[in-house]
Amino acid sequence: MGAELFDLRPALAPLVSAVCAGLVMLVGYRPGWRAALAIAAAVLKFGIVWSMLPGALAGTVYAISFGEILPGLALAFRVDALGLFFALVSSTLWVAATVYALAYMRGHPGQQRFFGFFSLCVSTTVGIAFAENLLTLFVFYELLTVCTYPLLMHDGGLKARRAGRRYLVYTLTGGALILAGMLMIWHLAGTLSLADTGILGGIDDPVALATIFVLLAVGFGVKAAIMPLHAWLPAAMVAPVPVSALLHAVAVVKAGAFGLLRLIYNVFGVDLMRELGYADVLGAIAAATIVLASVIALRQHKLKALLAWSTISQLSYIVLAACLLTPAAALAAIIHLANQAFAKITLFFAAGAIERGTGATRIDELDGIGYRLPMVMVAFTIASLSFIGVPLLAGFITKWYLSLGALEAGAGFYVWVMAVSTLLNAAYWLPILYRAWFRRPGRYGTTARPVSLLMRVPTLICALYVVILGIGAEAPAMPFALAESAVRFAFGMLGVAP
Amino acid sequence: MLVPITVLLPVTAAVWIAAFGPGRRAAAVVSIAVTVATCMGCAVLAAVATFAPPSSIELTELVPPIGLVLRVDALGALFGLTVSLLYVPATLHAVGWLGNGPRRCAFLAVFLFCLGAMLLVAYAANLVTLLVGYELFSLVSVLLIIHRRTRRAFRAGFKYLVYVIPGGALALVGTVIVFFVADSVVFTPGGLTAMGQDDATLRLAWACLMFGFGVKAALFPLHGWVPDAHPAAPPPFSAILSGVMVATGVFAIVRVLYEIFGPVRLEALAVMPWLAVPAAIGVVVAGLLAVGEDELKRRLAYSTISQVGYATLAISLLEPGALTGALVHLANHAFIKGGLFFAVGAVAVHAGVHRVSELRGMGRRMPVTATLMTLLALALIGLPPLSGFIGKWLLVSGALQAGSGSALVVLLIGSVLAALYLWPVMRETWTPPPKPAPERCERRDGMLLAALLTGALVVLFGLGAALTGFPLALAGRAARLLAGGD
Amino acid sequence: MNGPDLLPLVFMLPLVVAALLPALALKRPELSWALALTAALVTAGVAAVLTATLGESLALRYPVGGWAAPLGIELVFDRLSAITIVFSGVTALALVFSRTLAGGLGPRPALFHALVLVNLGGLNGFAVAGDLFNLFVFMELLSVSAYALVAAGRGSGSALAALKYLLPGAVSSLLVLFSIGVVFALTGSLNMADVAERLGPAGAPAATALAVALFASGFMIKAALFPLHFWLPDAHSAAPGPVSALLSALVVKVGVIGLIRGQLLFGEAAAPALSQVLMLLGAVAIVAGAVAATVQSELKRLLAYSTVSNVGYIALGLGLATTASVAGSLVHVGYHGVTKAGVFLAAAALIERTGLHDIEDLRGLGHRMPWSAAAISAGMVALAGVPPSAAFVGKWQIALGALEAQQPVLIAVILGGALLALGYGIRVINALFFRSPTHARVVAAREAPPSTVLPLVVLVGLALSAGLTGALMIDFVGPVATAIVGAIAETPGGR
Repeated sequence: MGAELFDLRPALAPLVSAVCAGLVMLVGYRPGWRAALAIAAAVLKFGIVWSMLPGALAGTVYAISFGEILPGLALAFRVDALGLFFALVSSTLWVAATVYALAYMRGHPGQQRFFGFFSLCVSTTVGIAFAENLLTLFVFYELLTVCTYPLLMHDGGLKARRAGRRYLVYTLTGGALILAGMLMIWHLAGTLSLADTGILGGIDDPVALATIFVLLAVGFGVKAAIMPLHAWLPAAMVAPVPVSALLHAVAVVKAGAFGLLRLIYNVFGVDLMRELGYADVLGAIAAATIVLASVIALRQHKLKALLAWSTISQLSYIVLAACLLTPAAALAAIIHLANQAFAKITLFFAAGAIERGTGATRIDELDGIGYRLPMVMVAFTIASLSFIGVPLLAGFITKWYLSLGALEAGAGFYVWVMAVSTLLNAAYWLPILYRAWFRRPGRYGTTARPVSLLMRVPTLICALYVVILGIGAEAPAMPFALAESAVRFAFGMLGVAP
Repeated sequence: MLVPITVLLPVTAAVWIAAFGPGRRAAAVVSIAVTVATCMGCAVLAAVATFAPPSSIELTELVPPIGLVLRVDALGALFGLTVSLLYVPATLHAVGWLGNGPRRCAFLAVFLFCLGAMLLVAYAANLVTLLVGYELFSLVSVLLIIHRRTRRAFRAGFKYLVYVIPGGALALVGTVIVFFVADSVVFTPGGLTAMGQDDATLRLAWACLMFGFGVKAALFPLHGWVPDAHPAAPPPFSAILSGVMVATGVFAIVRVLYEIFGPVRLEALAVMPWLAVPAAIGVVVAGLLAVGEDELKRRLAYSTISQVGYATLAISLLEPGALTGALVHLANHAFIKGGLFFAVGAVAVHAGVHRVSELRGMGRRMPVTATLMTLLALALIGLPPLSGFIGKWLLVSGALQAGSGSALVVLLIGSVLAALYLWPVMRETWTPPPKPAPERCERRDGMLLAALLTGALVVLFGLGAALTGFPLALAGRAARLLAGGD
Repeated sequence: MNGPDLLPLVFMLPLVVAALLPALALKRPELSWALALTAALVTAGVAAVLTATLGESLALRYPVGGWAAPLGIELVFDRLSAITIVFSGVTALALVFSRTLAGGLGPRPALFHALVLVNLGGLNGFAVAGDLFNLFVFMELLSVSAYALVAAGRGSGSALAALKYLLPGAVSSLLVLFSIGVVFALTGSLNMADVAERLGPAGAPAATALAVALFASGFMIKAALFPLHFWLPDAHSAAPGPVSALLSALVVKVGVIGLIRGQLLFGEAAAPALSQVLMLLGAVAIVAGAVAATVQSELKRLLAYSTVSNVGYIALGLGLATTASVAGSLVHVGYHGVTKAGVFLAAAALIERTGLHDIEDLRGLGHRMPWSAAAISAGMVALAGVPPSAAFVGKWQIALGALEAQQPVLIAVILGGALLALGYGIRVINALFFRSPTHARVVAAREAPPSTVLPLVVLVGLALSAGLTGALMIDFVGPVATAIVGAIAETPGGR
C-alpha cells in the first residue's frame, strides 16, 4: 500500500458533474447551454480522474473523508488502483456517451431531465469507484439506481413502466440485501473499510460468514446480472440507446461487478476466500451464466436483445475470473471491466445509429447495412470480433489471462468453458457480420436518413480503443499497469507482474 | 529492423487499398510493387539467416510477460521467402483475373493482409506471436474464399469457419497450457527446457495444438474444408491456399514439435504415432479421392492434401534428414501447386473448362498454358530434373535414415497415386479434340504471366538445387538448428 | 439571563402570543401571520440556546417560582427536550407555508395561527415537563388544539374527522390520567424523577403494572401505534395541508415521547413486558403500515399510513432496548419529523393547487409543478431511508440493535418496510412524472408561490442531507439512550 495523501480530487470528481447536473436541470432549457453543461461535466470529470493516474501508478493513494453518518462510519473516498481503474473506464466512456446522447436525443422531449440525470449517474458511478468503505459504496450504489430510473423510463409507455418496475424491484431488493450484509459485517467486525485485503479475517463464525457472503453476493449479483438475477436487464433495453449503452452495458452492470470485486478482494480477501471455498460455488454459477446467456443470445431476433444477453454473458467472465482467486485471473477480471465496456458500448452505439439511420431493429433487417453505414459497421465488426477473441483486439487479452488464471487455480475445466464461449460468440456475431457485409440491402438498407457525425465518431473512437487495448497492453498511459497494480495489492505481491 | 518492415509493408498496403479504393491501374501497380518489395526483403532476411544466428525484436508486449516478438531463423526465413515468392506470381494472376471486376480493391486488400499475417507466422519468435498471425490470417481468408459470393462459395466459407474457429480455440487452449506448465512460449531449438512433470497435461496440450494447427495443415481427418474451399475460392487465392496456407499449418506444427516440445520429450511422451498415422491415411485416401474426382480444382485440392501429408508424415519421424526432406518438399510443392492452380484458373476463365473430362484438346486451344500444366504435373509426380524430384528424393532418404519402412511404403503409394491422378490430365490435354477444332482462346494476361513465372521457378529450383542453395541449403540448416545443434 | 431561566419561554412564548393574537390581529391576517411566525422562530432560537447551554450536562432544571423539587413544579430540559428545536422549526416552516392558504383556513386566520401556536406551546411544554401533572396539562393543550385544527379544514368531512380524532384522543387522555392517579397513590409524588425513585420500593407490583399498562396504552393511542392507529388516516385526509404536516410530524411524536418518558419513569417495572409489547407491535406496525400505504389511492392517507409505519420503527427500536436501537429511535423522532413535515407540505401544495386528492388524479402534475413534485419525490425517497438521508440513520441503528439483541429476523422486517416504502414512493413519483395527465385541473395547474415552495425545499433538503450529521446526533442522544436502557435493566432510580 502506498502513501495515503489527502486530496480534494476524489471528491471533486463526482461533485463536478453533480453540480453540472443541477445546473442542467435548472437552466438547461436552451439546447446550447444543455449541451455545453453536459459536455463540461463529462470532460471535467474525465480530466480530474485522469490527473490522478500518474500518482496512482507511482503508488500514491488519494483520500478524503467528510461527515460521519453514523458513529465510526464516515462518507469517505479513497482512490486506490482498482477504484481508479473503474473510474477511468467510466469517465472516458462518459465523454463519448455524452456526445452520442446529445446527437441521439435531438428532438426528443424532456432533455433537461434526461441530461440532468445522465450527468448525475456518472457522479454516482465515480462515487462507487472511489468509495473508501462499504457504506459510501452503498450510498452511491443506491443513488445510482435512483438516478438511472428516470432515464430508463424516459420514453414512457407501458413497456417502459413495466421494465422500470422490474428494474427497481430487482435492484432495490439487491440493495436491501447488501444493507443487511453490511449490518452484519459492522456488527461482527466493527469496520466497513475497503482499504485492506480483507476485514473479516478474525471472525470465527462460519454461519455468519456464509450469510454475509450470500447476502452481498446476491445483492451485488443483481446488478452484475448473474443468473438467475438477470431478468431486469433484457427488459431494460426499452430505454433509449444512450441509456442502454452507458448504463446497462457499462455503468450499472459494471458497478455490480465492481462490488463483487470489492467483496472478494477487500471485504473477504483472497486468503479467507480460499479457506472458505465460496468462490467455487459462485464461479460455477458464473460459468453457467456465461454459457447459458450465450445460448439464449443465439435465439434472439432483435439486435438490442442480443446485445443484452451478450452483456449478461460477458459480465460473468469478470465474476468467474474474480472467483478463481489467482493473480492472472484477477488481472483478467479487472481488465475485462475495460475491454467489455469499450466493446459493448461500441455495439450499442452502432445499434442506435442503425436504428436512427434505417429504422432497423431486428437482425434480419440488417442485410447489406455495411454499405449504408460503413463507419458504424466497421466499428461493430471490430467490437464483435473482440468478443469472439480475435487476437490484437481487447477480448483476446481477457481470454488469455482468464484461461491462464483457470489453470493456475487448478480449475482447468473453465478453460473449456472459455473455448465453448468463444464458439458461441462466433455463432451469434458472425451471422450478423455476414448479413451486414455480404447480403444485398433489403428494405431497411436503402432508407435514407442521415446519421449525425456526432453519433458515428464516438462509435468509431470506442472501437479504436478496443484495438488499442488489444495491442497496447504496456503503453504507459493505458490503465493496464494500473490493473496490475491492483492485482499486486490484492494478492500482497510486490514488484513484477503475474 | 527489416523484419517488422517486411511484415508490416503488405499490411499497410492492404489498409491503404481498403481505405482509398484506388483505380484498377493504381491498385495493380501498388499490389505488385509491394509484393515484389516484400519478396526482396524476405530474400535478404533469408540470406542473413543462412549465415548468421537469429536475433529477435519485440514489437509490443501483448500479454505481459509475453510479447509480440519477431525473429528470423533458418526455418522462418525459408518459409517467409517461399510465401512471399509465391505471392509475386499470385498477385500477377490476381490482377489479371480481377480485371475490372467488382470488389477488386477488397480482394487485393485482404490478399495482401494475408501475406503480412503469414509472414508474422513465419517470423514469430514465440508461440503467441505465431498464434496471433495464424488466427488473423485464418479468419481473414474466409473473406477471400467467399469472394465470388456464389452459394457454393458461401457454403465453402461456412464449412471453413466451422473447422477453423474451433481449431483456433483449441490452439489457444494448447498455448495457454504450454505457458502454464513451462512459464515460457519462446521457440527454443530442442524444445522448452522445463515443462513440468505431468505427462497427461503435456499430452493434452500437444493434442490441442496438433488439432488446432492440423486443421490448417489439412491433416486427416481435419481436411474436410479443403476440397470445398479450393474450387470455390478465386483462382489466385486457391493457389495461395494450396501452396502456402496449408503449408503454414505444417510450419506451425514443426515449430511446436521441435521448438516447444522437442524431439526428446516427444519420444518420451510417445505421441508421434498419433500424428504419423493420420498423415499417412491422408496421403493414401486423398490420393484415391483425387483419382476419382472429375472436377479439376477439387482434384488438385485432394492432391494438396496428399502431398502435404507426405511432409507431415516425414516430420512425424523426428529425424533431421526427413525433416529436411519435408521442408524442401513443402517449398517446392508451393510453387508447383501454385503454378498448377494458375494454369487451371486461366483455363477455367478463358476456355470455360472445369473438369478433367472437358480438357480434351486443351493443348491446341491454350498451348502455352497447357505446356506449363504438363510441366508442373510432371514436377509434382517427381520427374527429375524438376524441383519436385528433389523433395521426393530427400523424403525417401529421410525415411530410410529414420528406418521407417512403413513411411517409405506410404510415400511410394502416394507417388503412384499422384501419377495416376495426373496422367489423365496430361493425356486429355494433349489428345486432339474431335472436329470441328475449337479455336485458340489463350490470352496474354497476368494469368499467363503468373503461370509462366512459376513454371520457370520450378525448373530453376530443380536444376539449380544443388547449386544455389534455395531451398535446400536453407532447409538443411533449418533442420539442423531445430534438432538442437548448429 | 441565565441559561435555565430561558426554559419557561420555550412554551410560554407561543402560548402568550397565541392568547394575544385574536385580540391584536383578528381582522388582519398579515399581521397575525407575522406575529405567529416571529413567535415560532424566537421559540426555536430559545430552544437552540438551551440546547447549546446544555453542553455536557444531562439536564437543565428550572424550579417554577423558585420552589425546589420534589415539592415544587420543575421544568427539565434534557437531551430529549432538544426536540423542541424541531417542533418549533417545523411549526415555523408550516406557518410560512400557510401564508397563501389563508383563504382555506376559515374566515378568521388569526384563530388558526393562534391554534398553531397553542399547539406548539403544548408540544414544547410536554417536552420540558418535569412532573406528571404538567405533562398531562400540556398534553391536553396540544391535543385540544389539534382537534380544533383538524376541524378547521374545508369540507364537510372535517368536523366528523375531528370528532373521530377527538374520541380516541379523549380516551387516551383518560387512560393517562388514571395512570397518573395510580402513580400518585403509590408514591405520593408527581415529580417524575421522584416517582422514578420511589416506585420500586413502593411494592405493589399489580398496581404498578396497572399504571404502566394505562400509561402505555394511552400514549400508544396518541402515537398511532398499530393497532391503535385507526384515527390517524381519517384525521389526515380531512385536515388542511399544513395541519396534516403538524399532525404527522409533531403531534404523533408526543405519544412516542410519552412512551419514552414512561420507560424512564417506570424503569424496571415496565420491562420486560412493555419492551416486548413495543417490539412486537412495532414490527407489525412497520409492515402493516407499509402494506396499507401501498394500497391507498389517496395521497394523504398514503402518507398517514407511512407515519404509522415509521412510528412502528421507533417503537421497535425502543422495544429492542439496546443502546444502539434506542439511540436510533430517538434520532428518528426528530429526523422523521423533519422528513414527514416536508413530504406533507409538498403533498399539501400539490393538493391545494389542483384540488385533487387521489394519486391517480395527480398524474402528470410533475411537469406543471416541478418544484413541489420534485420535493415530494425526493422526500419519499428520503422517507424510505436511502442514505445519506436522515431516515437512514435511525433505521440502521435500529437494525444494528436487532442484531445485538439476537433478533436477526427483525432485520428482514426493517428492510422489508424500507423496500415497501420505496415501492409506494416510486408509485407517487411515477404518477407525477411518468404518466400523462388525466384531469383537466392538472393541466391547468401552476407552480405554487415561493413562500409555499421554500419550506418544502428546506425541509426536504434537510431530510436528504441530515444523514451527514448522523454521528453527531447519535452521540448527542447517547446518554439518554443509555439512561433508558439502564432504567429498564436495573432497579429504578437511574435517570
